[in-house]
Amino acid sequence: MAGLPRRITKETQRLLSEPVQGISATPDENNLRYFHVTINGPKDSPFEGGVFKLELFLPEEYPMAAPKVRFNTKIYHPNIDKIGRICLDILKDKWSPALQVRTVLLSIQALLSAPNPDDPLANDVADNWKRNEAAAIKTAREWTQKYAMSGGQ
Amino acid sequence: MSEEDSRSSEDETSEDEDINDYYNNNEDDFIDNSDVERGQDGEEIMTSDYYSSNEYIRKRMQELEYYDYQCLTGTEVEEKLAKDTETTAELLNISPPLAQLVLLANKWKITAINTRLKLSPVERGKLLVESGVIAVLPSHFKHRTEHKKLSLKSAVSCGVCFDVFPVSDVTSLSCKHMFCRQCWTQHIDFTVKEGMNAGIPCMENDCSVLCPIDFVEQFLKGDSARLYRDHLFRISVTTHYRCRFCPGVDCPVVLFAETPKPRRVTCKRCKMSCCFECGNEYHVPTDCETIKKWLVKCADDSETANYISANTKDCPACHICIEKNGGCNHIQCSKCKHNFCWMCLGDWKAHGNSYYECSKYKENPTMTNSSQQTQAREALKKYLFYFHRWENHSQSLRLESNARLKIQSQIEEKMNRSEGTWIDWQYLLRAGELLAKCRNTLHYTYPLAYYAGGGSEKALFEYQQAQLEVEIEGLAWKLEHAGEYQRGEVENQMDVCEKRTQTLLARFVAN
Ligand SMILES: [Zn+2]
Ligand SMILES: [Zn+2]
Ligand SMILES: [Zn+2]
Ligand SMILES: [Zn+2]
Ligand SMILES: [Zn+2]
Ligand SMILES: [Zn+2]
Ligand SMILES: [Zn+2]
Repeated sequence: MAGLPRRITKETQRLLSEPVQGISATPDENNLRYFHVTINGPKDSPFEGGVFKLELFLPEEYPMAAPKVRFNTKIYHPNIDKIGRICLDILKDKWSPALQVRTVLLSIQALLSAPNPDDPLANDVADNWKRNEAAAIKTAREWTQKYAMSGGQ
Repeated sequence: MSEEDSRSSEDETSEDEDINDYYNNNEDDFIDNSDVERGQDGEEIMTSDYYSSNEYIRKRMQELEYYDYQCLTGTEVEEKLAKDTETTAELLNISPPLAQLVLLANKWKITAINTRLKLSPVERGKLLVESGVIAVLPSHFKHRTEHKKLSLKSAVSCGVCFDVFPVSDVTSLSCKHMFCRQCWTQHIDFTVKEGMNAGIPCMENDCSVLCPIDFVEQFLKGDSARLYRDHLFRISVTTHYRCRFCPGVDCPVVLFAETPKPRRVTCKRCKMSCCFECGNEYHVPTDCETIKKWLVKCADDSETANYISANTKDCPACHICIEKNGGCNHIQCSKCKHNFCWMCLGDWKAHGNSYYECSKYKENPTMTNSSQQTQAREALKKYLFYFHRWENHSQSLRLESNARLKIQSQIEEKMNRSEGTWIDWQYLLRAGELLAKCRNTLHYTYPLAYYAGGGSEKALFEYQQAQLEVEIEGLAWKLEHAGEYQRGEVENQMDVCEKRTQTLLARFVAN
């Protein structure tokens, strides 16, 4: 593999020296394009108190192509499916090379605060979210407790 | 008692008549009907108005058959596109590459663009923003002032690679979002390889300005440049409301029509045809939107419906298994000689008179008060009824298209036995072609009937559909049993089929 582009080095340095509140991103020691990420569930969301693990990978074409991001912690969310894939426009058609890892992670954090059941990835979850929001939020809270709090996986 | 009634009771009493006689009766039926069309029987709802007059039908059929379109080569299309671009550039007072962006965003509808421009002075600006020519209306200047500061500096940091460049090495689109040349090259190259279906946007987040062709081409060389041209051409043709790629596999022809309409267009090179408006198989009398809805529904429900497309069924009289190998839905059991309908398994005699109702779905009148489950079951039943007939005619079309070769070899046999000349037997080939054409129309009446509302319009349509179906099966039968029929009988049947097809179609061409 070619050497790491200066842009990735700079982004990594800044992520480590000026971390975003509630988010950590650490490059893997064997592959500097692969990041171990955690996002704290935002306050006043059903994910509050949970710590969600994600993996983020910068493909060869980055930043012309978007980073690949996936949840490793199970989460009950209409825009995140069973295997952790995320439905977020800036990871797809709205990607711009001027966006960064930092902005992507902030957007994912925002998605946890404001689920969007009208643009679903997990259809069954989105259905529940629309039909009975209170019950869906309760389930999301239970999942947070079960999978995203210390002791859970 | 009306003529219809007297004829049908005649049919009922003639159970022992053979098929031959039955069809002869039917011809009388037709002749009587055309009398009615001339207005001798005022109370006939089906045929007494102008819409059934020969003049009306002839006019409508002309509209349907003589559609003005061309088969163009790539170069010919390029010329047209270039002319459109020139015109639009003048109209908007912008460069041709920018005009091309406006055209791509507006289906190349110059007249519509012109109409909008005349609407109000702000429309020009709005149009340019929507098309990705400029970022914001001239009244919003936020970005501009930011970048004015930048341009005073001697070095600029590129927001994509984070490196610092002299001002001469960065460039931007009209939005003034500056990036270095190397990043532009990589971005454009990457987007072209990905298919650039949404154009090539500016690299800034949330910026909707698109790269025009002259901007793009300064960064591309060799294969990428060629690929870009190919994509641009493909996108231009697919967005152009007057153009459609030929549906033939790997056929480079572009079908072009001055006035886009849902009409049959046939490629002169590969002979494939489709509906000009939507690109699906030609589907008159159903409209483009309905056929799209129907095809999606069929694809979604394909598993539910799969079980009915079998091509073997049991004879309802003697229960031996019969395999269907012709297109005709009038089946005579090879063992017990029972005549029955392949579609509904009913006695074919019930299909012969003017009460032919095999094509018509009978809604259950007590439905409105029943449970959701019953209603869902009823909805499925209704869909399956129409889908079943749709599939069945589609199968018949396939089987009958093989029949052409069979007819040809039959003719050769006859000639070998010195029974007439090649010319003498041409009517059989013509009959085969007509059968395919009429059955195709019948095939496409089913989606229309499925979505049709109630009322007299639907009743009339179903009546005409039934009339057409019975005659088409009559023609199919005579063609499959060509040896047993005189040329005159077949040609009469052809006339009836064609007339009924035209009567049904005429009503749908008007709008
Ligand atoms: Zn750059
Ligand atoms: Zn821009
Ligand atoms: Zn062709
Ligand atoms: Zn169409
Ligand atoms: Zn039988
Ligand atoms: Zn038949
Ligand atoms: Zn039937």
